[in-house]
Amino acid sequence: MRTSKPHWGRVWRNRVALTLATLSAVFGLALLFIILYDILRHGLSALSLDLLTKDPAGPMSGGGLKGAFLGQGLLTLVATLVGAPLGILAGTYLAEYGRDKKISKVILSICDLAMSLPSIVVGVFVYSLLVKPLGGFNGWAGVVALAIIMIPLVTRTTESLLSMVPWTLREAALALGSSYHVVIIKIVYRKAASGILTGVLLAIARVAGETAPLMFTSFNNNHFEFSLSRPVASVTVTVFQYAGSPYATWIDQAWAAALVVTAVVLFLNIIGRMAVKWRG
Amino acid sequence: MEPSKAPQELLRVDKLRFYFGAHQVLKDVELPIWGNSITSLIGPSGCGKTTLLRCFNRMHDLYPNNHYEGRILMEGRNILDKNEDLIELRSQLGMVFQKPTPFPMSVYDNIAYGLKLKKITNKPLVRELVEKALRQANLWEEVKDRLRENALGLSGGQQQRLSIARSLAVSPAVLLFDEATSALDPISSAKIEEMMVELKKQVTMVVVTHNMQQAARVSDYTALMWLGELVEHGETTEIFTRPKKKMTERYVAGHFG
Amino acid sequence: MNTKKTANLIFFLMTGFGAASLVFMTAGILVTLVVESWPGIERFGVIKFLLSRDWNYAKESFGAARPLTGAILAAVMAVAMATPVALGVAIFLTELCPAKLKGSVALAIELLAAIPSVIYGLWGLFVLAPFLEKYFQPLVGKVLGDVPWIGGYFQTKMAGGLNLVTASMILGVMILPFIASLAREGFAQVPEALKESAYGLGATRWETIRAVVWPSAQKAVMGGIIMATGRALGETMAVAYVIGNRHGALESLFSPYVTVTSVIANEFNEAGPIQMSALFYLTLALFLANLLILSLAKRLLRRT
Repeated sequence: MRTSKPHWGRVWRNRVALTLATLSAVFGLALLFIILYDILRHGLSALSLDLLTKDPAGPMSGGGLKGAFLGQGLLTLVATLVGAPLGILAGTYLAEYGRDKKISKVILSICDLAMSLPSIVVGVFVYSLLVKPLGGFNGWAGVVALAIIMIPLVTRTTESLLSMVPWTLREAALALGSSYHVVIIKIVYRKAASGILTGVLLAIARVAGETAPLMFTSFNNNHFEFSLSRPVASVTVTVFQYAGSPYATWIDQAWAAALVVTAVVLFLNIIGRMAVKWRG
Repeated sequence: MEPSKAPQELLRVDKLRFYFGAHQVLKDVELPIWGNSITSLIGPSGCGKTTLLRCFNRMHDLYPNNHYEGRILMEGRNILDKNEDLIELRSQLGMVFQKPTPFPMSVYDNIAYGLKLKKITNKPLVRELVEKALRQANLWEEVKDRLRENALGLSGGQQQRLSIARSLAVSPAVLLFDEATSALDPISSAKIEEMMVELKKQVTMVVVTHNMQQAARVSDYTALMWLGELVEHGETTEIFTRPKKKMTERYVAGHFG
Repeated sequence: MNTKKTANLIFFLMTGFGAASLVFMTAGILVTLVVESWPGIERFGVIKFLLSRDWNYAKESFGAARPLTGAILAAVMAVAMATPVALGVAIFLTELCPAKLKGSVALAIELLAAIPSVIYGLWGLFVLAPFLEKYFQPLVGKVLGDVPWIGGYFQTKMAGGLNLVTASMILGVMILPFIASLAREGFAQVPEALKESAYGLGATRWETIRAVVWPSAQKAVMGGIIMATGRALGETMAVAYVIGNRHGALESLFSPYVTVTSVIANEFNEAGPIQMSALFYLTLALFLANLLILSLAKRLLRRT
């Protein structure tokens, strides 16, 4: 195109740099596939229906992790029932009643701090709050720990989604004679509903794989009981404990359980992120 | 300067002052709004015309640190009174905004929304009122087969007429237009102007507009504002052809603003 | 009419309650950590605790120097390894990737951050650690092991593959998507017109990135790196096994060591009273470090 001589140095530097960038991306993708491949490779061998349907047995005699799966499901479900509404309400306060007020800026900063806290800090806190005083590990403590992790996540999503809803929409509804809470519930929430749902889904995906906050709270239990006042087993804590054990059967089960957890968490993430894309 | 025919005075703005915090935005505004007519508020940006419009339905009360002095009388009562029920007031004075504000629901539910607020839930009645409102807004023919579709799928002009229909459904006494056609194409805005003239039989309209031709075309009365004060008010033909004040003459001739 | 006002008030109070719960739980965490670490604070002081290398169960003497060193070293090495790759990924995604592939590639990279950390721990323990021990450690030992003064830090002195380097590599994988996505956000903020004017001068893609994209995005990237450091410091389950959890002098980067979180995770459930308080004290230190890092990053990212 140009009549002057091509600048070979510049062209080559460009090629090298861009090749390195491409290789980085390839490397990143390769990492994901290697890890997933390893989880599949180790996990599939011990994956069976027994894993999901049987109670744990000794290290020599098979058994399954029924209680751990049910327990993790129960903890996550109850934590979501507590954490998601609170997060949505908090986000509503920040974006609606507290909009442009100094106090919401302060609370938003606190929310960011809570969101960035290492999950083990939450586990240690809830131990002191609900395990030590009550005299033992219990499911409620696990629920509270997961909810504490969830609340700031949901608050942040809700706040940013509600803030994106055009202000005139609220004025239009108010000008019709709506009271503010009706405007929020009937119009603003409706406009932001799919986004909030996605946010909650991603928050569930996040807590469903948590281990550190459960180790000192709900701990583990060989049997599953529908009671949150006793220790509750969870897959993640079991994976951690089994992986450290000297028994090959337990280590195999840890891999199989890891496969299930990873599949569930990645599935939730993909669904959530696709939903974000569909909304445009 | 008052019109010779004897229409009914629906609203009277009486020595109205309005403050954003310490900043006075409206200065002793005096203005009658005559029933079953269209009054245009014109003036350069920042003159206070939108601020005045938003006093009528007390929109300013949504935000802190605003206050009113003076009165706006409606059927003898001062609607700026502290004890005024704003929810009731706003259902009597509807508002149409610059940008269309379709709620995230179906066309039908958009209109039914305001009715529901008024506890009108009887299905056949709601249906009837929805149709009536859409007809008044000249929208019925275009949407009668798409009532269950999401309102966000309508065109900009249709969305604006939908917003108007939504306000009309609760049968307000007054409709306040805040530059309601400035974001629309000429054809859509012509449709709305046409509809406004039709609507005079049912409601009184106050229209804030930047577009002087529009004020001249649709309104019966025109008020010019400048720096928070009311410069001149009168019948539109008078204001545009025989203004009493120099400033009005210069403004309508396009010398400033 | 009054019922409407009451309903609005009730909803307002409910949202206020939600917001308050956020404040109370965060404040509650801080207060609880201080109260629980108080015996430790009284016994070990602040400066002494931070500088003490003790972790002696018999003498009940505990210090944070080694866990802190371990955590900081692991985090810094992780960031050092992840940043160049993350920047490459971000450049690829914003400047090179065909539009069709962009979504899937970005998603795949993000998924690296979604894998639960205990799974990383498992993978590190059974896959990465043995691999590094067999292939990577001998190589590094050969190349750097004889360098005077620092050579010892690159020699393998204990078998097992559970060490600082393994931990930092896993952390690096975990924070890679995090840095990449913040860098992408930064890159995306650069106006198209600015880039076009660089191309218009005859700059190559790389020169445009260097001259226009990088300076505008620099702050965002720095903010991302700092946030990523915070994440790496607080990451627990991925580190708890592969760090080896050995309270001893750091003789080599390829020796087992401790981090703040590995100590808490491995010792919390079996700790005596004073040790427990020391563990709370470590958690408090982690909380404060996190606060510091967050405010630093915020200053750079200027996000509210």
